[in-house]
Amino acid sequence: MATERTDVVIVGAGAAGGIIAAELAKAGMQVIALERGPRLKTSDFAGQDELRFFQRQDTRPDIKRQPVTWRRNTNASATPLGTLAYGNQAGGGTVHYGAVSWRMHEDDFRARSQTIERYGERAIPEDSSIADWPLSYADLEPFYDRAEYDLGVSGKAGNLQGTLVGGGNVFEAPRRREYPLPPLLVEQPGIAFDEATRELGYHPFSTPRAILSEPYQGRPGCTYCGFCQGFGCHMGAKSSILVTKLPEADETGNFKLVTGAMTYHVDTDDSGRATGVSYYLPDGSDNNVEADLVILAPFIYDNTRLLLLSRTAQFPDGLANSSGHVGKHVMAHMMARLLVTFDDRHMNVYMGPSAQKHTIDDFNADNFDHSDVGFIRGSQISIGTENLQGGPISASTITPPPGTPRWGAAYRDFIADAYTRHASMVAQTENLPYADQTIDLDPDVKDAWGLPAPRMTYDWRRPDEVARVEYMLQKMEEIGWAMGASQVWRQPLSPGRPGAHHEGGTRMGSDPANSVVNRYGQTWDIPNLFVVGSSTFPTMSGFNPTLTIQALAYMTADAIVNRYRNNPGPLA
Amino acid sequence: MKKDKNSASRRAFLKGAAVGAGAGAVAAFVPTASAQSGDTAQGASELRPADTQHGAFFNLEQAAAVAAFAERLMPGAPDKPGATDADVLNYIDLALAGAYADQQHFYRRGLVALDAYCRSSHDAPFASLDSSQQDAVITALEAGTAEGFEWPTAQAFFQTVRTHTMEGMFADPVYGGNKNFAGWRLVGFPGAQFTYTPAEVRSTEPFSRAPIIGLQSQATRRG
Repeated sequence: MATERTDVVIVGAGAAGGIIAAELAKAGMQVIALERGPRLKTSDFAGQDELRFFQRQDTRPDIKRQPVTWRRNTNASATPLGTLAYGNQAGGGTVHYGAVSWRMHEDDFRARSQTIERYGERAIPEDSSIADWPLSYADLEPFYDRAEYDLGVSGKAGNLQGTLVGGGNVFEAPRRREYPLPPLLVEQPGIAFDEATRELGYHPFSTPRAILSEPYQGRPGCTYCGFCQGFGCHMGAKSSILVTKLPEADETGNFKLVTGAMTYHVDTDDSGRATGVSYYLPDGSDNNVEADLVILAPFIYDNTRLLLLSRTAQFPDGLANSSGHVGKHVMAHMMARLLVTFDDRHMNVYMGPSAQKHTIDDFNADNFDHSDVGFIRGSQISIGTENLQGGPISASTITPPPGTPRWGAAYRDFIADAYTRHASMVAQTENLPYADQTIDLDPDVKDAWGLPAPRMTYDWRRPDEVARVEYMLQKMEEIGWAMGASQVWRQPLSPGRPGAHHEGGTRMGSDPANSVVNRYGQTWDIPNLFVVGSSTFPTMSGFNPTLTIQALAYMTADAIVNRYRNNPGPLA
Repeated sequence: MKKDKNSASRRAFLKGAAVGAGAGAVAAFVPTASAQSGDTAQGASELRPADTQHGAFFNLEQAAAVAAFAERLMPGAPDKPGATDADVLNYIDLALAGAYADQQHFYRRGLVALDAYCRSSHDAPFASLDSSQQDAVITALEAGTAEGFEWPTAQAFFQTVRTHTMEGMFADPVYGGNKNFAGWRLVGFPGAQFTYTPAEVRSTEPFSRAPIIGLQSQATRRG
C-alpha cells in the first residue's frame, strides 16, 4: 500500500475536476488527481471510426466492469443500464461530448420562486422537490464568462448587458461581453430550421458550443468533419478539458495525475474531518492519498456512492448526509425526438458538429406562458442528428415512419433515400426533481472491484413530465411541416428509463437541513470535503449542464484559493 | 425425423453447456456439432454462400444461416448493395471471434433455436427456405411469435442480428464488412472526410467533391 501526502486530492479529472486542479495548482497548491480511466492524446482520436467510438463506446465506461443499475420503482428489481454516457478518461465527458455550452437563464436559478410568483404554489406538482439554487445567475455570470474565454466557446450574444442584440438567443440572461469566438457555421439542417421557426415567430440561433470556429489559443478551428459527439476530436478543435486545463495544470509543476485509479473510500478521522481517499490501481494494489482538502468530482453516481461507502460510526448514514438527502432528487433530461425527411433537398446531417446544431429557446424555462399548458418549465428545441451523431450506424437506429418496416427491401430503400435527406429534431425537456428519484447502493450487483454498483430508482413518466414532452413533440411537428418536410414522425419514448444528463444526488442549498452542499460544493457536515459537478444541481433546466458545471468549478476554485486556503472552514 | 432428433439433442447439449463453464463448453461444442452434422455435410456445403468465407467463428451451417438472414434484412438489388455485397457475414464472424466474443453463446443458442423453428415450421433449415418463407420466419422472430426460443428470446435474437447486420453494412471496411464501401454507397455517406467547406455544409445537393474515404486510405495518407 502506497501512501502519498498532498495539499489537495481530486477524484475525477473531468469537466469540474480538471478545472479545479489547474486553478489550484496555478495558485501554488500541491494537487493530486485520481482518474479511473486512461489519459489519451489528440492523436489517439485519429481515425474517424463510428463503430469504435459511437457504437462500441470506446471513450465510455465498460458497462460490465462499471455497471449502473436501474429500476422503475422500489418494487421492481434493478438491472444494469445498457449504455453509460459519461466519460471514462482524463477530461471526462468533455472528451466525447457534443460541446453544447449553455448559460442557464436567470429563472433557472430560482425555478421554485419564479413558478410561485407567476402561477401560484399549486402549479408545482405536489410530489416535486423543486427548489431555488443558493446563488443567482448574477453570482455565477463572472465564472460563465471566465469559462467561455478560458476554454473557448463559439456563439453569438443575444443579450449584451441587458440590450437585446440580433443573431443570438434573445432569451439568454445578460452577458457582460460577446463570446470569444464567432458562432459555428450554420449547416443545411440549421438553415431549414432557421427559416421555418422565424416564419412561425420564434427566435432561432446557432447553438453555442465549446468547439473552435476559428483558431484560438494555439488550437485549430473546426473542419466540420462530423465525427463529433461520441468521438474525441482528432484535431483538438473541441475545447475539452483534455486539451485545455490538463496541459495548464501540468505546466505548474504542482500537479500529478494518477490514471487507472479507482477511488473507493473517503477517509475521515475521529474529529470528523476528511483526511484523504483510498484507491485501487490496475495491479490490484490498495493505495492512499492523505490531503488537507478532498474534492469529489466524478460523474454523479460516484459522488453518492463514495459518500455512502465511506460511512463511519460518526456518520452512520454516509458522509455529509446528516440531512438524509444524499442520493435523492436525481434528474435526467427526457429527449423527445422527431424525424423529418425531404423530397426536394439533401440535408447531409453527417457534416459538421453533430449535436443540437441550431436551436430555439422560445419554449424553455419560463420563456413562455405556462398558465394553460398543464406543466411548468420547458425545453430547448434543436435540429441535428439522431443520437446526436450523424453517421450511418447511428441512422440505422432510427425507427422508420409508420408503415415502413425495420428490415427488408422497403427498409433498405428507406435508409438509402432518407440518409442524406433527413434531420432529427430533439426537445431536451427539463425534468423536475423528486425526492424518490434516487441513487443508492445495489444490494446484488457488484462492479469489477467488488463494490456495490450505483442503483438508480427512477421513472420519468409523471403527469407534469408527460405533458411537457407531449407539448414539445407537437411544437416540433409544427416546425417540421413548416420546414417543408415530406414526412414528419415521432420516435418512441423510453419506457421510464432515465434519459440524458443525469444530475442530482448531492444537491446544493442554503439550509443544511435540506441540502448536502453549499453553493461552493462544500459539504455542510465536513468543511474540508467538497463535491463539485452536476450532482449538486437542485434543478436541471432544459439546457446541457457542462458549462454550468465548469462555471461552478471556477467559482469553487476561486473561493478555495482566495478564502478557504487562508481560513479553512465553512465558506457559506 | 432424424434431423429433428438431431436438432433436439444439440439443443439439449447447449442447455448443458449453458450451466457448465463457459470457455470449456465453447471448446467442446465445435467438434460435437461437426460430428452430429456429419450426415448433413453434403447439405451444408451446398448451403455455403458462394462468395463468402467463414472462418473465425461460425461453422458452415451457421454461416449459411447468418448470411441468408442478413441478406433478407438488407437485400441487394441492382445498384442497391445488400448484406451479401457488403460481406456482412464476414463482419459478424470476425466480431464474434474478437470484440463480441462474449456474445458467442448468444449466437450459438439463437441459431440452434432458429434452425429448430425453421425445421418444425418449414421442414428445412433457414438458408434453404425461399425468400418469402425466410421473411415469414424473420417476421415471427421480430414479433416474438416464433416458438422454441428461450434464451435468447426470438425478439432479442432478431434485434441483435439486425444491429450487427447494420454494423456490417455501415462500419468502416477495416472491420470486415462494408466491402468496397457497399453500405456507404447505398446511402450516400462519403466516409471519413477530413473537412467539409462552408459551401458544402450549406448545400442541398449530395456531396460529390471527393471519393469515399475509409480508415485504410486515411492511414496510408498519414504514413
